[in-house]
Order: sequence, then C-alpha cells, then structure tokens
Amino acid sequence: MPLYETDPAWADVTPIELDDGGPSPLVAIAYSDDYAEAMSYLRAVMAADEMSERALALTEDLIQMNPAHYTVWLYRARILTAISADLSAELTWLNSIALRHLKNYQIWHHRQTLVDRLGSADGEQAFLRSMLDQDAKNYHVWSYRQWLVRRFALWADDSGELASIEELLNEDVLNNSAWNHRWFLVFGREGQEEGYKVLDETVERELAFAKAAVRKEPQNQSPWNYIRGLLRQTKRPLAEMKDFASEFAALDRPDEVRSSHALDLLADIFADEESNAGQAKVALAMLATKFDPIRASYWQYRKSLLPSKEAPAA
Amino acid sequence: MPQPRASEPSTPTTRLAELLGASRIEEMSDSETQAGGTDDGAAEAEVVAPPEPVINELFTTPPKIRVQVETKTSKEQAKTVDECLERLTDRSGRARNSHGLQRLRKAKHNEFLHDALGDYPGKFVLMDASRPWLLYWSLSGIALLGSTDITDFEDRLADTVTPCQNRDGGFGGGHGQISHLAASYAIVLALVIVGGDEGFNLIDRRAMWHWLGAMKQSDGGFTLCHGGEEDVRGAYCALVMLSILDLPLELPPEAPARQSGMTSLLDGLLEWISKCQTYEGGLAGAPGCEAHGAYTFCGLAALCILGEPHATINKSLDVPSLVAWLSSRQHAPEGGFAGRTNKLVDGCYSHWVGGCWALVEAAVHGPVSAPTAAPPPRLWSREGLATYILQCCQNAQGGLKDKPSKNPDAYHTNYNICGLSAAQHRYAYCPSQEPDMEGNLKAGFSWVMMAEGEREEEGRVFDDEDRVGAINPVYVVPVGRAERARRFFESKRGF
Ligand SMILES: [Zn+2]
Repeated sequence: MPLYETDPAWADVTPIELDDGGPSPLVAIAYSDDYAEAMSYLRAVMAADEMSERALALTEDLIQMNPAHYTVWLYRARILTAISADLSAELTWLNSIALRHLKNYQIWHHRQTLVDRLGSADGEQAFLRSMLDQDAKNYHVWSYRQWLVRRFALWADDSGELASIEELLNEDVLNNSAWNHRWFLVFGREGQEEGYKVLDETVERELAFAKAAVRKEPQNQSPWNYIRGLLRQTKRPLAEMKDFASEFAALDRPDEVRSSHALDLLADIFADEESNAGQAKVALAMLATKFDPIRASYWQYRKSLLPSKEAPAA
Repeated sequence: MPQPRASEPSTPTTRLAELLGASRIEEMSDSETQAGGTDDGAAEAEVVAPPEPVINELFTTPPKIRVQVETKTSKEQAKTVDECLERLTDRSGRARNSHGLQRLRKAKHNEFLHDALGDYPGKFVLMDASRPWLLYWSLSGIALLGSTDITDFEDRLADTVTPCQNRDGGFGGGHGQISHLAASYAIVLALVIVGGDEGFNLIDRRAMWHWLGAMKQSDGGFTLCHGGEEDVRGAYCALVMLSILDLPLELPPEAPARQSGMTSLLDGLLEWISKCQTYEGGLAGAPGCEAHGAYTFCGLAALCILGEPHATINKSLDVPSLVAWLSSRQHAPEGGFAGRTNKLVDGCYSHWVGGCWALVEAAVHGPVSAPTAAPPPRLWSREGLATYILQCCQNAQGGLKDKPSKNPDAYHTNYNICGLSAAQHRYAYCPSQEPDMEGNLKAGFSWVMMAEGEREEEGRVFDDEDRVGAINPVYVVPVGRAERARRFFESKRGF
C-alpha cells in the first residue's frame, strides 16, 4: 500500500525507481512494497540534497525497516545539523533502538556524531555499562568508548573509567577488551595530552594489578600480555619478571606448570641472559611437546632465534 | 589460591630428561603431528586390514593446562571446546578422506554459493547495503572451488554493479547508496575475479581517483565514506584499488588533505598503520582499539601493497610481538583461529589470521630468488586449521560456518575456503619475478607459489580431492587475476 505516493506532503517529489542492474541481477532482494517505495523517495530527496523535516521522517521510516543502511544514517546525520534539530531528543530515540541492534555499527557511529555535537558525555558511561552488560566484548562499543575518552578527556583516575574497568574485570578477568581499555586509559594518555608522562607509581600500580590477576588465573593470557606490553613500553627488562613467572612454571618441576604463558615468558628471559640459551631451549621444548603443542612450529622458530653457540646435540 | 594443575592423571610423571631428549623439539612434527595409523583389531584378524586413519590426539583431547576460573568467557570457551570435540572425535560413516577427516564437500559448497548469488525474499532487506560483499564472497568461493567457469557471470555481474557506481567515483552498496570504500573494494575484486573487459571498463578510474582523494585524512589514514569512520580497512581497500586500477598516487588537487600539506595519497599512511599495532602485538581497527584478526590482516596486506613485505612490515611493526600474537590465536584442541585474546575460534579467522601467515613469513624469512627454493618451515599448524575447517565448519547441506553450532553463510564459506587454501599452498615474495609492470605499487604482484618439496607431507591432512585453488595472498583473489587486471589498466594510457 503506497504511503508516500498518496501523501500530499510528498506530491512535489518524483520518486526514482530502483535500478537493480539488468534483466537478471545477482543477489536480488524481493523488497517489500513499503521498502521499495520509501527507497525510491529517498533516492529522489538525496539527489536533490534536500534537508527537511519530511526527509528526516523518511530516514526514520527506512531505519525501522533496515537499520543496517549506512546511507540513510549518514544522510540523517547531515539533515539533523542542517535543520538544527534537537539532538538530545535524537539521542533518546537512538537509545530506544540501540539495545535491539547492538551489533549494528551505524548506530554507534551516529551516536558518536550526536554526542560530539552535543559536547557532553553526561550519561554516556551509564549507557555504555548497560550495553556491555549485554555484550562485554562488542568491538563497536569499545571503539566508541575510546573515542569518548579522547573527546572528553576522561583520562583522570576519578573520571569513572578506571573504576568501571575494574568492575568489569572483577566480573570476568578474561575480558580482554576491558584489559585493552585499561591499557588505553593508562598508557594511551601519553601522546594525547600535551606533556603528560605516565608516573612511575602508576606503572607500579599497573604491574601489581596485572600480577594479582595472574594469581587469580595463571593461564589467562590477558594480564601476561599486559605485563609484557608494560615492560616494553617502559623499556624495562623482561628479567624483572623472572621470579614472578617462576611461581607458575619451573623448568625442574614440569608436572607443576600452571601457565604456558609463564613458560613462554621464561623462555624469553633465559634467551636474554648470557649463558642461559640452554634453559630457554628447555622451556621452549616443554611448550612444544607438552604444554602448547599446537604452536610447536612457533616454539621451534623461537628456538632457531637463540644464540647458536650451544649447538644442539644432533 | 587455585590448586596446582596440569599434571594429567593419565600421564605418568614426565621426567624432564625424557621430555627434553636431544632434539626432541625437531622431531615433534614427525612424531606427533602425523595422523598415525592404529591397527586395533589387526592382531586377531587373519586378513590385515588397512590401518584406519585417526585424528591426531592433539585435536581430540582437552589441553594440558586449562583455565580454572569460572567466568562468562571461560564457560563459553569450555562450551566451544565441547562442541568441537564432539565433531573432532566423530568417527561416524560420513565421507572421510585418507586422514580420517571429512572430505571437503565441494559440490555442496559450490551449490550453496550459487544460491547465495540468487534471489532473496524480502526479509533479507537487512543485507541491502551488503550486496557487493555477497558478490565478492560468493564469486571468490566459487572460483576457489574451481568447478564452475567463473566467466559465466561476466554479463550479470557487470549489469548488477553498474547502478552501484556513483558519479563521485566510488561504489555504494546499491542504487542510490553513497560511495563506500568497502563496497568499492568488494565490487572491484568481484570484477577482478570474474574478469572481462566489459566489467573492467565500467569502472570510472578518474572519478575513483578523485573520490579516494576525498577519503584521505590529514592523519594519513582513509575514511570509509563521507562522514564515516576511519579504520585500517579503509587503508587496505584504498590501496587495493590504487594498485589494481593503476591510479596516480598524487593527491587530487581538490582533496581536503592537501590543506594539511599532503601531496600524495600515501603520505603518512605507513605511520598511521603502524599506530594500529597494540601492546599485544596484533593490529586494531584504529589506534587505541583492541588487537583483532581481521584488522591485522588488513594492516599487513596494506603494508604488502605499500612495499616489499620484509621492508615495510619490519620497518613499521614490532615483529616478535606480532608473530607471538598471531600464533596465540590458534587454539587446541579446536585447531582453528580466534580473532582476539580470550575469544572463541571462528571459521572466518581461518582467513583473517590464517591469511596473515604468508605475509608475516615473508617478512620474517625475507624474499626468495626463485619459486623453486625450498620453503622454510611454517610458523603455525596448517594441520590444526585444516582439521578445524573440514571437521567443524562444514555444513552437511552445504556452506561453511563459524563453528559447529552456527549456521553457514557466504562470508564464512568464503573465508573458510581461503583459510583452507592457506593451509594447502605456500607463497613467497619473489622480487626477481618482475611482473612486467611499469607504474607504482607493484609489490603485491610479485608473489609466487612455492612447491612444498620435502615438507609436502608435513601436517597434511587433506587429499587432492580436498584441494582448493591458490590465491594472491595480498589481494585474496585466485592467483593471476589481480595481475591480469593490473596489466589491463596499465595498458590504458591516462584515464
Ligand atoms: Zn566469523
């Protein structure tokens, strides 16, 4: 049933019919009449670059039928600016459909555009929390969150960001997206803020935090990656972690190895030591044959990088 | 405190000396990665039955060290291991190959992809902006399966994509949809796969060059569309088109990035991509985000278009942490790849992570002088990946999928097939294989296929019937197609 064709408000618009591509297009969708009609009016108003209330209403109609339509979202964002629409109302409307379409990229990009123009992050952290309750590793949500931190300089420890991350990691210490955001908050600030340097005490705090997480679950790779990244970033030697890593893997007690990641780190630590290539080989062999054999080729490659003065017995 | 774990009750106390017997690590692949034959029952049988192939126990038993803490993540991981083990230990009568794995159901998958190119009912309207992707995934998969003459699609493909091209030069997701780098990439690659002058000629290269100029950002990267996001897919898609269409690298005069002093489409691009590498070693969609398999592939492939892999990758990335991160994405017992730390295996990463290896190995091992050189060992388990794809990702009615409990789609079908291709072919960067091209950005066309040589049987768990075609590892189209398209456009003088 035609909606726009019979509407006097649209009488001046000549719809542009769909060109689906020749007599037998590939991947052809049998569009509903409603969608086909709305799209033909969209093509017409977009061709005229119309910025109006009715065009805004048309985009809402189309978004209801197909929220994955990037063209409609971007056009809508332009109209909102052009007609100086109430962006808070738009955000409220967006909230009402966000939960239903959590995986939809366009919704997050649209939100970013709105919040940027509104110039306030009020309520965003609570909203993000409710989104992450549904899907704690959603890439769009986290990307948006990183944008939010940059845009509104939510770096400080009392901004609520760090507390929120600790809460998420308390619930699921294996959530690597939360670990990444933590890294972003602590180390991503350098280079974003003029003259900012990560304090030594902050580095120590982070190290302690990651170590505590390892103790909670030694086979969790996230905090191990965090520790390695931290040492690389602050140009500190891996050897600092020798005692710590040894708590979870000792070469002379292969039956008590609790973490392949500890063994991996020990292999690198031994490799850096003058005369310990032999022990590095032991650690790599334990990984290749027993504790992480799917990666045997990789451990073998790591072994090939060791100094060759201790030639392996043929 | 959690209890010490990992000593398997079934394993007798492993003495260090045994574990570390001289060069045990070298023997690994021989002693443990072969699907060794068992002769259960042969003793009593008078006629010696042929040994029944079994799947490597690495893929049929839980890992030695398991995460103990109970969280949403660990529960989902445990569930995934369970559903994969069910498939991996399945010895039922389905058609199996000589290594005990399910055969690649080529005819069924081919049929599935042909259907994916066909008509859809109205409820599929959510895909309306993704039709270019469906073209690319389906045609790529069909071409790699190799049983259809792909040129049959020439006319229909050209007709289908013509209305997607906008006057500004880019392609959108459909008629009246704004130009988008992902849609443009998918359409150009679909045309490259199918070939044919009609398809090549419909691309308005001059307009495309102007439009790419408009996507260039002052920080070096590319946005995917006007008003859209900037991420590493944009960089890769732009480079694919610049190089295949042989476009000038000069920034068009009207490009906004000129106001930031830029003069080339490549200005600051390498540096921007290098900022996408995270503390974990993999690449994120954009600086600050989480390392992710698909973005890592896009970043690496982009670097392999920008220059020689051993030069660009080693120059712009921390390679040891990159290799460590990629390697950690392969799971046992599942065998396949996950896309991020502590995430689940998924068949699409068969390509996104599996496809990274050729590029990274070229950076690690350096270029080869001839395609006949014996390839060095792989840095990953092709046995694991092929096992996961054949055993856990095939849908009985056709199509491939994320994991056993999921449904197949064209996306997972294509990227599983590309991943299987990565497990079946070796590539190297071979600059002496001069691709008789003149213009810029030629590095992506200097890749050669290597004979496996003495490594032919190493981790091989597929028969010749399970083979799929070889690809250009940078452009991810069947071998030779990207080169042919580039020569076509290079032969055109000017625009
Ligand atoms: Zn997937």
